[in-house]
Amino acid sequence: MAYNSFAYLVVFLGAAFLCYTIAPMRMKHSVLLVFSYLFYFLNSRMLVLFQLFTTLTVYYAGIFMNRIDDGARLAKPTLPAEAKSGYRNVIKWQKRGVMLICVLLNVGILVFLKYYNFLSLSLDALMSALHLPTFFPQFDWLKLPAGISFYTLQASGYVIDVYRGKYRASERLGKVALFLVFFPQVVEGPIGRFDELGEQLYEGHPFDYKRDAFALQLILWGLFKKMVLADRANPFVDEVFGNYTAYSGAMTALGALVYTLQIYADFSGVIDIVTGSAELFGVRLAKNFDRPFFSHTVSEFWRRWHMTLGSWLRDYVFYPISLSRWSQKLGRRAREKLGEFLGGALTMSVALFAVWMTMGVWHGVGWKYTAYGLYYFLIVLAGTLLEPVNRFISAKTGLNRESRGFKAWQILRTFLLVTVGMMLFRADTVGAFFHMFRSLFGGSQMDVLLDGRAFSHGMDQSDLLILALGAVLLLVVGLLQEKHPDLREALAEKPTAFRWTVYFALILALVIFGAYGGAYRAVDPIYGRF
Amino acid sequence: MDKLLKILSELKPGVDFEHETDLVGKGILDSLSIVMLAGEIADEFDVTVSPLDVVPENFRSAETILALIRKLQDE
Repeated sequence: MAYNSFAYLVVFLGAAFLCYTIAPMRMKHSVLLVFSYLFYFLNSRMLVLFQLFTTLTVYYAGIFMNRIDDGARLAKPTLPAEAKSGYRNVIKWQKRGVMLICVLLNVGILVFLKYYNFLSLSLDALMSALHLPTFFPQFDWLKLPAGISFYTLQASGYVIDVYRGKYRASERLGKVALFLVFFPQVVEGPIGRFDELGEQLYEGHPFDYKRDAFALQLILWGLFKKMVLADRANPFVDEVFGNYTAYSGAMTALGALVYTLQIYADFSGVIDIVTGSAELFGVRLAKNFDRPFFSHTVSEFWRRWHMTLGSWLRDYVFYPISLSRWSQKLGRRAREKLGEFLGGALTMSVALFAVWMTMGVWHGVGWKYTAYGLYYFLIVLAGTLLEPVNRFISAKTGLNRESRGFKAWQILRTFLLVTVGMMLFRADTVGAFFHMFRSLFGGSQMDVLLDGRAFSHGMDQSDLLILALGAVLLLVVGLLQEKHPDLREALAEKPTAFRWTVYFALILALVIFGAYGGAYRAVDPIYGRF
Repeated sequence: MDKLLKILSELKPGVDFEHETDLVGKGILDSLSIVMLAGEIADEFDVTVSPLDVVPENFRSAETILALIRKLQDE
């Protein structure tokens, strides 16, 4: 049941909202829990058992760590002063053991279900190349439970937070279960944190007209992005990337640009739909997009695109590695040998490498995704290492890095780097990507674009016009959000006639220009298959 | 405070760390620079910065960073 389907939006969400609204306060979380498991079962059938397994292991790991802490609190006052430090260490290691077992178990399940077939094929290929017998069976029956890549990270974050002492584990199984299976976010995030989401989900929220009206507006906006823009772009993108050897120059570039628009409209559109869905129940999910194409650097882009994944990787991969004792020791030695700047930057590159590799492989199975992570790692590393060089050049040439012209150049440069990254992400293979990249500088195919032949490859003139206008609309909305971070609030202050014109225009656009019907196929959300 | 200001200005030259109160919000200190900073203050002040300490509130200004250092020294 896709988030942009009639079944979800009208039937399922409608029923959930109705039941939630009429249920008494203390039962509201149970309504959400029941509907969430129903949603999960409808999407993944018996694979719901994996969700339940993660929930139970994470819940009991938390409880276990609570008991260890409680025991330590009682025992510490009775200990002699010299034994306290050693005792603290023992407690830390006990909790660490519980946390590691839980996290490794759940991440292990994710890795096995998602990557086993690919890894075993690759290892067997290596064995064949070395004239050794192949060893690993393929399991074609391996299927992925919905959202496993998302909820596993969310679950791991909870267990690690409890281990770090950020908060105590919840004693209520229902609270932990709802945090992991809440239906608006279970399939493609945003990846939530328990201290921000746990209580919100569990406490009931009464009906609020303004809040729910805002929620519906957000859902409408998300649907517009997904169905008018993203799904309309799909046939052309499929064509250019599927038959990439037939295209070059302007056609390949157009394909890459249209795909960048597609993936942004698709992912942010679905995120708007699920955020609006959650808002109907008074739950505020974490922000996942902050006008990413206004970013000045690739690092900034990844702080504004898929924000919850970026912050998860920062807090649970980057900081633990870069702030660990061995990394700090390595850093000290590197700074002594190579100087403050180079030593620091190179030490950090170890943690950066781990982050970007994780980011790459999290997105999918295959060497292409490893290359995707490596692409951004090299760009971010180069950016860090070149910073003093850039400052030197600016000082010598008098270049004003705060000027609007320079900032505009930075935004354009970031956009181009990201579009190339998206091309890699969408290409069939790394080889296909390199072919497409090289072909950008080959035959220009401007004639194909200009004489209209381009418009028989999955996108006609009206499609291109709608996509272009859509991109302009997204840009305008992005610029408006700079002045009015909460556009819905700003819109609510406008006269009724203006507001309702906007709403009806969106609904009309959806009805008339939504990509459904004979010529289009329903496109599953791009991020819904992780 | 002087030692800290010296470390900060070597890390990010041209920033008025004495008066700036929104280092994280304005993007002056991002996760990369915070980690480099953590290494320097660990050496200079003999403290260990853990992932739990790396929250925006602790790195908002030179004052809050100094407060964090003092808290870690007391532990």
